[in-house]
Amino acid sequence: MGRLDEASFAAFHARTSPGLRAYVYRVVGHESDADDIVQEAFLRIIRTDVRAESDEHLRRYLYRVASNLIVDRWRRRRHEVGEERILHEPATPRPRYEDDAAVAKIFAELKARDRALLWLAYVEGESHEEIATSLGVGRRGVKVMLFRARRRLRQLLQARGLLVNS
Amino acid sequence: MTEWFDLDPDEERAVAAFMSRVADLRTPSPESRLLASSELWCKAQLLRRWEAERLARRPLDIMHRIEIAGGLVAAGLLLYWSVPYLL
Repeated sequence: MGRLDEASFAAFHARTSPGLRAYVYRVVGHESDADDIVQEAFLRIIRTDVRAESDEHLRRYLYRVASNLIVDRWRRRRHEVGEERILHEPATPRPRYEDDAAVAKIFAELKARDRALLWLAYVEGESHEEIATSLGVGRRGVKVMLFRARRRLRQLLQARGLLVNS
Repeated sequence: MTEWFDLDPDEERAVAAFMSRVADLRTPSPESRLLASSELWCKAQLLRRWEAERLARRPLDIMHRIEIAGGLVAAGLLLYWSVPYLL
């Protein structure tokens, strides 16, 4: 793939922007913050002049940058309002349909880090190693955190009698 | 696909099904304040140029500070040596 030029960036942006925005929005829960993070992630991709081996490699790098920006946001807000409130900070999604509202509400009840872990694992299909890189934690730590996130989600689903079966 | 820490098929199925619902949730359409890719590209080039200019100017800025500090020290020494003659 090599170095990005304006045309290849435009194509890359068109391909990855909706997915990245959905990820950041579901984790952060605030539309304007999510937009800021998405824009900053793309700006950093251009400014660092990254030499990507492939489109997929660049996409993973983009998610890593965005995840780092999300973590920076957690840290900044932790200084402002305290860790406990940030970890349990509810997302504020605005679902369009009533059925979606229940799904969005349950997901928003998870901790922000759990939302990021579950999204990267299930929606993006990332491996433990890739999630570890994206979130800046150890591979072993990801396994444990992901297990706990799944268990918490399972408990939330059970508590509402909404255990979704495939 | 991810290999799970402590695999429980039921849990796996329930969580995966729920997450597919989450993935399908609609994200609010981007506001107009979101920059287009061409605008992002221009902004990044501009930021990159500013950063290059800032780096290029840094030695000059440092020298400027050294000049000011040197001037103040020289003025202080001159004053110190000239005080006996002024009194």
